[in-house]
Amino acid sequence: MKYNPYIALLLFLGISLLLYYIFRPNRGLYFLLKKSYRLNNKVAIEDILKLLYHNQTNNNSLTANDITNNLNFSHSLIIDSIKKMMDSDLISLEGDTIKLTNSGNEYSLRIIRAHRLWEKYLSEKTGFHNREWHERAEKKEHELSVEDTNKLSALLGNPKFDPHGDPIPTRTGKMALKQGTPLSNLGVGFVGRIIHIEDKPEIIYKQILAENIHINSIVRVIENNTTRIVFHSEGEKFVLAPIVAGNITISVLEKKKIDEENVTRLISLKENETATIIGLSKESRGENRRRLLDLGFVKGASIQIDLLNPLGDPKAFLIKGTSIAIRKNQASKILIKKN
Amino acid sequence: MSKKNIDNIIALAKDLRWQIGDDYHDSLIESIYADAAEIVNDTVTKDKEKSKFRLDAKIDKIVTSRIWGFPIMLLVLGVVLWLTIIGANYPSSLLAELLLDSIHPVLKNLGTSIGFPWWLNGFLFDGVYLAVAWVIAVMLPPMAIFFPLFTLLEDFGYLPRVAFNMDALFKKSGAHGKQALTMSMGFGCNAAGVVATRIIDSPRERLIAIITNNFSLCNGRWPTQILLATIFIGAVVPKSYSSFASLSAVIGIAVLGIFFMFFFSWALSKTVLKGEVSTFNLELPPYRPPVFWKTIYTSLIDRTLIVLWRAIVFAAPAGAVIWLISNIYIGNESIAAWTVYSLDGFGFLLGLNGVILLAYIVAIPANEIVIPTILMLTVMVRGISGGEGVGVMFELDSVTGTADILRAGGWTLLTAVNVMLFSLLHNPCSTTIYTIYKETNSMKWTVVASILPVIAGFIVTFLVAQVWRILV
Repeated sequence: MKYNPYIALLLFLGISLLLYYIFRPNRGLYFLLKKSYRLNNKVAIEDILKLLYHNQTNNNSLTANDITNNLNFSHSLIIDSIKKMMDSDLISLEGDTIKLTNSGNEYSLRIIRAHRLWEKYLSEKTGFHNREWHERAEKKEHELSVEDTNKLSALLGNPKFDPHGDPIPTRTGKMALKQGTPLSNLGVGFVGRIIHIEDKPEIIYKQILAENIHINSIVRVIENNTTRIVFHSEGEKFVLAPIVAGNITISVLEKKKIDEENVTRLISLKENETATIIGLSKESRGENRRRLLDLGFVKGASIQIDLLNPLGDPKAFLIKGTSIAIRKNQASKILIKKN
Repeated sequence: MSKKNIDNIIALAKDLRWQIGDDYHDSLIESIYADAAEIVNDTVTKDKEKSKFRLDAKIDKIVTSRIWGFPIMLLVLGVVLWLTIIGANYPSSLLAELLLDSIHPVLKNLGTSIGFPWWLNGFLFDGVYLAVAWVIAVMLPPMAIFFPLFTLLEDFGYLPRVAFNMDALFKKSGAHGKQALTMSMGFGCNAAGVVATRIIDSPRERLIAIITNNFSLCNGRWPTQILLATIFIGAVVPKSYSSFASLSAVIGIAVLGIFFMFFFSWALSKTVLKGEVSTFNLELPPYRPPVFWKTIYTSLIDRTLIVLWRAIVFAAPAGAVIWLISNIYIGNESIAAWTVYSLDGFGFLLGLNGVILLAYIVAIPANEIVIPTILMLTVMVRGISGGEGVGVMFELDSVTGTADILRAGGWTLLTAVNVMLFSLLHNPCSTTIYTIYKETNSMKWTVVASILPVIAGFIVTFLVAQVWRILV
């Protein structure tokens, strides 16, 4: 073929486009193939078990049709999986509705344990963004054996809750109790601690993350009606739609115990103000949390702004006689009380 | 106690620990820290030198101010680079005169007089010795100027403020503000820049800094850029503007390197490095007058000599290879000539030629010998008169002489521009590759860091060549 710059350019564009379609994140041909390879009976069975388990704890009963509607598998794969599950005595039929047997219940707890432990692992030991934890755990839960999960659990110090506040079943299937009220049901003036942020459905979860609402922070409800819920938390005001607030679970605190009302986040500190550190938010995790503690961001330390940045971020704080710069997203996870 | 009882107790302990929950563990750690802080408060008395502290604060206010922060940084970097590049010229030419023009012939004569066969003489003195001498002459002076200057700034306490000012820019591409420092260090030497990434304590950001350090135009590449810009870019514009045009071209290449550094930092942090742990903190230590002589001494020993030694170790075999491929014949052509012919097609596609590609392959150990190798190969393969003989690298004192050889070798403005681009975007030298391996301890990241810039170089030069041929 004779050389011609136009042809060379076109060839190059063609190859780049091809590579793009094969390898583009998530929707590329390569990833689709990998995914369809992954979608076998085991994955379908385990997802069905989880679905049944979650509905059973909410006292919903499901039919085969409901399962097909709720899960993103082909109809034939689901029917086939249900048949296999009947054969191995994981589920039983009561009329139209499908029920978990005892062994089915155990199996689903194992999957949930793997899922929540993996989320905990991602939050503590890796740098993945919290938006990605759930999705990654959805894949990983099918790959972890019982032994793997036990090792993982020991590595993480046998945690009780996952990063969203959901209890992690122990290897014998024991689970911490989850008590609390949805934020949307809380009356005006009530004060409580956020103990759980539901990670499904994804759209609502991402909305909550975008608002920068942290687990374990104290909230006080200011306004609650059918259109919006307004509450104060850590010195900031948040406004949520009731459907979003419904996915945040609150454990109501008795009025006497509340002494954390004027706690604010370090980002709200202004120049020439001094403050005392109350502690680190639960959102500050893993390596980051240890680093901050090492640097002296501990309960009782006094802190003030040392230097503002020409570009706004990071700011340098004077703590224990040393000037240490940290970024905005870190400062928002340090709780202080202004003097 | 029976084993059963012990097991029971362990099981009970585990159960209780689980019941207490995660909060307990956290608050235990926190209270240890808080207790330690309290003990320090009670027992350690501090000497409060308020006045000194105020001076620090004043300097800080200026160097991090909205108006002065960035101009001061650019000025300091500019002065350091200017001092390095201009200041290194004189010792470099002295060293070149001594090592290349005086000692080299003496050694060759010595070899002949004690009866070395011609091939041993050529291999040892034209190959190995010449490559090593070249690397020392080009590399030693700029490093001996750059590193002490840099270390002085570091000791004074200014560099952490640079990282502080620049962090917001680097954060956007998923990197750490301290990468501004390792990047600047890379302008001196990429291997030293890679070692300098130790100051970044977050694993993800450190890997990013290591992999993208090669996009800082290092000392070994500045002379190539300046030479080509002077010959080809300077010739395009009227004579009165030529030095300005060539200077802007070189700065443009360096800035392009910074752009690629940001781009690849961003791409890496969004893809392959997404899951690595990422933290941030930056201590701003108090200013202190640097200990001048000690700093000079340690920076010469720690940085300059170590890097130089590694470069020599890698340059010696490169010299041998260059001499061998030029002097071993297969059929009626040397290995070098065969390789050049087979690379010519691919080279043309990139707006380069076979000679340039071969020079970049054999000069992996040291960017300093790229131009001498190109000149030697051009003269040899294209049958141009001049040069020092087969397999003997050379450089000409006159820029016009060099220009004549390159033009006779088929170089155009496009070739020059693409060589400048490829000099910026190609694999790190073997010293840097080795250093990357030592620092990351991972074959995977070493390969990524080595391959990534070459692919970028191929794509960029290819695109420039096609567009150039369509437009010009």
